[in-house]
Order: sequence, then C-alpha cells, then structure tokens
Amino acid sequence: MSVPTSTVSLTGVGKRYGRTVALADVDLTFDRGVTGLLGPNGAGKTTLLRIVATSIAAESGEVRLLGRDPHRSHGEVTAVRRQLGYLPQELGYPSDMTAFGFVEYVAVLKEWNDREDRAREVRRVLGVVGLADQATVRISKLSGGQRRRVGLAQALIGNPQLVVLDEPTTGLDPAQRADLRRALSELGNSSAVLLSTHQTEDVAALCERVVVLAGGTIRFDGAVTDLVATAVGRVWLADEPGEDALVSWRTGTGRHRVVGGTPAPGADLAEPTLEDAYLLMLGPDLRPAHATS
Amino acid sequence: MITGTHGWHADPALLRSYLGGDVDAITGASLEQHVSRCETCRTAVGNLIEPQLLERTWAGIRDAVERPRQPYPLRVARRCGLPERTVVLLASAASLRGSWLLGAFLSLSFAALAAYASGGTALAPFLLVAPLAPVLGVAAAYGPRQDPLEVLIATAPYGRTRLILVRTIAVLVSVLPVTVLLGLAVPGPPWIAAAWLGPALALVPVQLALAALVGPRIAVTVLSFVWAGLVLNSVRPGMPPTWPVELAQQGVYLAVAAVACIVIAIRVGSNQQPGVPL
Repeated sequence: MSVPTSTVSLTGVGKRYGRTVALADVDLTFDRGVTGLLGPNGAGKTTLLRIVATSIAAESGEVRLLGRDPHRSHGEVTAVRRQLGYLPQELGYPSDMTAFGFVEYVAVLKEWNDREDRAREVRRVLGVVGLADQATVRISKLSGGQRRRVGLAQALIGNPQLVVLDEPTTGLDPAQRADLRRALSELGNSSAVLLSTHQTEDVAALCERVVVLAGGTIRFDGAVTDLVATAVGRVWLADEPGEDALVSWRTGTGRHRVVGGTPAPGADLAEPTLEDAYLLMLGPDLRPAHATS
Repeated sequence: MITGTHGWHADPALLRSYLGGDVDAITGASLEQHVSRCETCRTAVGNLIEPQLLERTWAGIRDAVERPRQPYPLRVARRCGLPERTVVLLASAASLRGSWLLGAFLSLSFAALAAYASGGTALAPFLLVAPLAPVLGVAAAYGPRQDPLEVLIATAPYGRTRLILVRTIAVLVSVLPVTVLLGLAVPGPPWIAAAWLGPALALVPVQLALAALVGPRIAVTVLSFVWAGLVLNSVRPGMPPTWPVELAQQGVYLAVAAVACIVIAIRVGSNQQPGVPL
C-alpha cells in the first residue's frame, strides 16, 4: 500500500538573502483546501510562497510539490509548473495589453496551445473573477482592484492543483473581496491553495487552517479556531486604555478594546477575533510598530 | 408565408432556403428585415441552425472582438506558417512591434546613407549600427528585471529559456534581412555587405550570456560601448575603415561567440532547479 503524499511538503527549508535569514528550518505540509499564511512584513511569507511557486530554490531542506522534487530535474519542475497557479505579490501588467490579451498570453506560457480551447479557458477565468465584461479593456484603463483580479484570473487557468496567492485581496473593495472569497472557497474544494495576506478577516472567512510566520520561522500552524482560542481571556472591553496592553484602541461605543496585558478595574471580557489572537501570537515582534494608544 | 393574428411569419421551408442562401436578393433582404423584428421567426431560425455552427460562428465573433489584433509583421509571419501560439508570445515583445522595427530601419538607413554619401570612406556609422541592431532588439525583447511578466514566465511550463530563444530568433529574422539589403547599398568592397554579419551574429550569444549574469540592460550597454570602441578605433589615421570586420577580427568574434555559447549551455544544463537558466 502506498503512503499518501501531501500536495506540498516542506521539511527543514531555509533561505538566506546575503546575511539576512528569510526562512529558517521551516516545516510545512498542506493539501486540498485554503491555507492562510499570516505574518508581519519581512516575516518570510513571500520567500516561502516563491519557493512553493518554484520561482526560487530553497537553500536547505527538502521540498516536495505534488509529490515531486522540483530541485531534482528540469522535467520535475516543469511537471509541477503544469499544475501550478501563481499570483505574485507584485505583478507587472503590460499597460498596452487588454485583460483578454494578458490572460491569453499567460495561457500560452501554460501550454494551452489550441486556439479555441484557450479562448474558452480565458473567458472562463475572466468570468470567475467577474471581469467577463472587461475582457477587451486595456489593463491601463482598469482600476487597481480590477488589475489584481486580472492577475488572479491568470493564476486560475486550467484549474491548477496547487495555487499560490500572494496578497490577492490588495486593492479590492469589500464587495470584490467577498466575490473573491467565494471564488477561492470554490477553488479550495479541488485545489491546494496557499494564501498569504495581511487581512486576518480573509483568513477567518476562508481558511480552516492558518500558519503564522515571523522572523522566518513558523509560530503557529493549526486550525483558525485553535488560534482564536489562544486569545480567550486576554481581550477586554474597558473604560480606560490598558497600560501594559499589547494594543488597545477606543472603539465606536466609547470603550477601549484592550488586547493583552492586565485588565483594568471594571473591564469586561470580550470575544477574541483572529486578529486579536494573531497580535497576541506575535507579541513582542509587534511592539515597535504598534504603540498603545 | 404563414399568417396569424400578429401578422405573418415565414414558413420553415422559406427560412431553410434563406439560411441556405437559396432565395433571391429581394426576398432575402425582405426576410432579413422581417426576422430582425419578429421574435417568433428569430426563434424559428435559431432552431433550424446547427448548434455547432452557431457555436463556431459566435466563437468567431467573440474572437474578433476580444482577441487583440497582432502587429502586422506577425500576421505576415503567421500566414507564412508560424504557429499561432508563438505569434501570441512574440506579440508581447517590444522589439517585434512596428515602432521598434521602424526605428531600427531608420537608424540603419541613415547610417547606410552616411556611408554612401562619403563614397565609402566613412563606413563607421554603418558598421557601428548594423551589428548592434539585432543585439538591441534581443535586449529589448526579454530579460530579467525588464519583462513585466518575468515572474510568471519563470514559473510557467513553457520555459523562460525557450521564450528567450524564440524571441531572439524572431528578432534576427525581422532585422537581418533589412540590414543585409542596406548593406548591399553601402559603397566599398563587395564583401562589406556580408562582413558585418560576423560581429552581429557573435554579439547575440554574448548578449544572452552576459544578460544572464548582469541583466539585459547592462549587458547591451557594455556591448554597445565595446563595439563602439572597436569601430572608433578604425577611424584613426592610417587604419582602414573596414578594420572592424576584417578576417582577423572575424576570427576573434567567432571565438568570443563560441565561448558565449558554451557559457549559455553550461548555465542551462547546470541550473535545472527552480530559478532561471538564462
């Protein structure tokens, strides 16, 4: 009986840029479904995503993508790329291309050689991201959110088994984000989706599993509900800002939401959110950037 | 015709003749006018058309509307047998668009004109521009930190190396014929019309090999300066104007090109992991 292999399996993976350690001894496996990757800037999220997307090679450790070793041979990495959809964090859009032209170009790079099949697939993915009516519009005329959706459309070509999305919701308004969540949740039924984002609400809405990365190492890897549970009893609503709180702010009701620290007299325990749990998980790493207000 | 309470409707036999193109011009025009206004007849026409034909026609219309029009040189290339998918890939390369080709043609023409006006004593402008035109085209056609889709190209199964080579060949095919023709018009020894091809073809692999290390922009800048230095060297008193393309120098270019090809081959062969071979 063969042992089932994970769609993605990273073991002891490391990567440096000069003297800077981007990833250190990272172990991560995931399968079908949407896995959220959270972490502050410089945590190593993009490096991790680029390794999974075969854009860069890991310096150490073992990488298995779709049961293959992309470092082994050109054939292996090409086989992985045939089943890969990748939306990089920063994607240049040739401004003189139309949305259709751009996605079609990527479809050719993904070996959609038949003209009619390719056109159908381009229309399908533009429809999935809600841009079917904008197919003939030049990318330079599209809004930032629409461009991001064009980028996402190319990542969906051919319903790839492995989809790597770096900040896909950047620049989207709430309605567009809701549409995108719907598309990604459907995609998660058939593909392994690794989603990096700063938006904890996207992870809470979409992912069963969340990985928190900081300083190039994994701080948490588990169910979203488990991460939220780590914050139970550590979030309050109080009349005063918490003096030793990790973060606190005045809410619309006039009371202060206090995350971490010691509760002030009269404080009421509050239901924690994923964001609260994420902030508490990172703890000291956040202090320089998030002053108590 | 079938008449009813809401006027008349075309009978199926007439509609079949209309679809088959078997009705005379007046009946056809009349029927067309009617069908455009009558929902019942439009539905009847729709039922008489083969679904596959309808689908193909609709796909053709969508294609005409949605698919970007390819540049003229590429449309010609497609008619000559270039695969459609390759045309789509090449259309994204800046150096294969009409504006770049026109610019290359104009600069080459001016250089050839200068050589012609001097009666063959001033070959430097032509020898400066002609070998650099393909290299500049190659540099403009691809490259790390230059192609906005670099990341996607690098992670696509088509392969970045393959794309670069396809674009390079396309640049050579598009630029070389014009340059050869202009070379024929340049006065001087008859062999000069072909002699510049040596450095031109040698510079392309050197550009590819250098671009892999320092990027296409720096590579083409370095090569342009080196080549300009060689050509300017021939302008010194006592030097023949054909010096940059004489046999001894051609040997050197060949050797440099061979080294560049070896560098490319080693790089492509050794780097089989994620990342970019070229």
